[in-house]
Amino acid sequence: MNRIPVILDGDPGHDDAIAWVTAAASPMLDIRAVTTVAGNQTIEKTTYNALRICTLCGIHPPVGRGRPRPLINEPMNAPSVHGKSGLDGPVLPEPAFNESELDSVALMAKVIGESDTPVTLIPTGPLTNVAALLLAHPELKPKIARISLMGGGIALGNWTPAAEFNILVDPEAAKVVFTSGIDLTMCGLDVTEKALVFPEDFERVRNQNNHVAFVVADWLEFFYGFHRAKGYAGAPVHDAVAVAVLLHPEMFRIVPMHVEIETEGEYCRGMTVGDIFNISGKPANAKVVMGLDREAFVEHIVNSVAFYGRTKA
Amino acid sequence: MRDIWIDCDVGVDDAICLMTAAAMPDFHILGVSCVAGNVELYKTYENTRRVMDFISCAAPVYKGADKPLLRELVTAPYIHGNNGIGDVVLPESTREHESKTAWDALYETAVSCNGSLELIAVGPLTNIAIALSKYSKLASLLKSITIMGGACSFGNRTPAAEFNFYVDPEAAQLVMKCGAPITMVGLDVTNKAELFDYEVELINRVNTPKGRFFIDSRRIAMAYLKENGHEGTELHDPCAVVCCAHPELFTMEEAGVYVETRSELTRGKSVTDVYSDFGFEHKNAKVVLDLDREAFAKIMISLLTRR
Repeated sequence: MNRIPVILDGDPGHDDAIAWVTAAASPMLDIRAVTTVAGNQTIEKTTYNALRICTLCGIHPPVGRGRPRPLINEPMNAPSVHGKSGLDGPVLPEPAFNESELDSVALMAKVIGESDTPVTLIPTGPLTNVAALLLAHPELKPKIARISLMGGGIALGNWTPAAEFNILVDPEAAKVVFTSGIDLTMCGLDVTEKALVFPEDFERVRNQNNHVAFVVADWLEFFYGFHRAKGYAGAPVHDAVAVAVLLHPEMFRIVPMHVEIETEGEYCRGMTVGDIFNISGKPANAKVVMGLDREAFVEHIVNSVAFYGRTKA
Repeated sequence: MRDIWIDCDVGVDDAICLMTAAAMPDFHILGVSCVAGNVELYKTYENTRRVMDFISCAAPVYKGADKPLLRELVTAPYIHGNNGIGDVVLPESTREHESKTAWDALYETAVSCNGSLELIAVGPLTNIAIALSKYSKLASLLKSITIMGGACSFGNRTPAAEFNFYVDPEAAQLVMKCGAPITMVGLDVTNKAELFDYEVELINRVNTPKGRFFIDSRRIAMAYLKENGHEGTELHDPCAVVCCAHPELFTMEEAGVYVETRSELTRGKSVTDVYSDFGFEHKNAKVVLDLDREAFAKIMISLLTRR
């Protein structure tokens, strides 16, 4: 089987971390690089967290640090969701290796340039790195197979009434990505708020009984803390959807449509305006994931975590 | 009896909305004001007069604004036909023309009702915004404002915005901020307030004068919607009337609702915090999200098949 070469780009973050745990467990994915972005926490913290997550999973891809701030916006973090470290909760191993000398964009460009087959990008944070890559290296576009991202929501927002956090943090970057013409899969709140791991599922994860399972169960519990107070029935593991949709597209309901990024407005800045009824007549530029088989998704997370009991990390 | 004022832009849907309101046994309609929207003002005014005669409702009809507060008028003849009521021709009205403007008449009626007037607005909110601007006491005199307009999730005029709010976003924002108790009956619920094709066929077969008008005036709209993949027919404006009359048939939530006026892409989007983790400071409206469709359809079918 030919494995899919991927770059994981994120701002871990509990749900980024769980997404990466599932990616590292999959025999279908070949993680060529990890790049970090400022978002859930500062770039120092998300980079440190990225190294710790890779160490936990027993993988050692080059880890490239991103720029400390969005393209134009002032930096914005989410300590109320992810805690002071950006990944509060269980104790994690200290990094077993150093970050790359290349920054995120240079590392992405190198990996994509050197790859024989087009590379898939999985951004689960603000789209700053991906936009910078596309702006600086338009010649690499044909070598990007597709982008599966977590961000936006055509029917709803979370951080503002109209906008989801990742897009809100860097709307200009999102606009660059959504107008790039690259095969785009958008996993927004429309699906990710349904990607709920219920408290009773946390124990199924823990019962896989390995060092990663214990950590993931604790992450889920921590992450659920914020959401329980907001009335959610479980932890919405947003970012894991962007990985799962590549591995198990059959679990999801996917609707191609035209999506435009709002960079203006008094209330709507950062909104992903999805033309689900094709009112504009504009051609689809994104496959928008609208729904999922929740139980199959949870099963996929449990199975991914079980992998770490079968191998020597 | 409940004191009712209706502001509309007749309009295929608005005509049925007036019919529905006039048939509510506890509604006392004190006035109807017209605004430009679905079609131009001179048409909505003329249509309203004729429809009011057709349904034998004696309430006075007032002329309002012929264009939005700040923008050029946008109309929807592809739904409403050139004359605004699906190109159906009703007999000319014999009633006198009122000399007062919509906003003056609305205010005077609100004053004389002394807190009991319930306003149902089913077109662009231009008239209401002008009335609220001219009369700062008006908001506190209104018992409620029920609005057909807006949408939490998806628009119909653009991907982001519903038609009435798109046409006059500044007016919608002004009304949303006015402080009166507001119920927003937006596309989230009105898209579900539909009659299925077999129910429309039943109305066609029974063939009362009202039912005949309903069927004939809706032909252009239904053909347009069918072309765009819609089944059945949605009754957006009547839904607002039924919601005002029978709130127990509807599901609603307190929310903050504000209207985007500062961007073209999302012009007129009603931004609500119904679903977001972080909301607005003030809850200024009840947002209607769902209805008992069977009960709604029963009311509409009984109205449109009654001799």
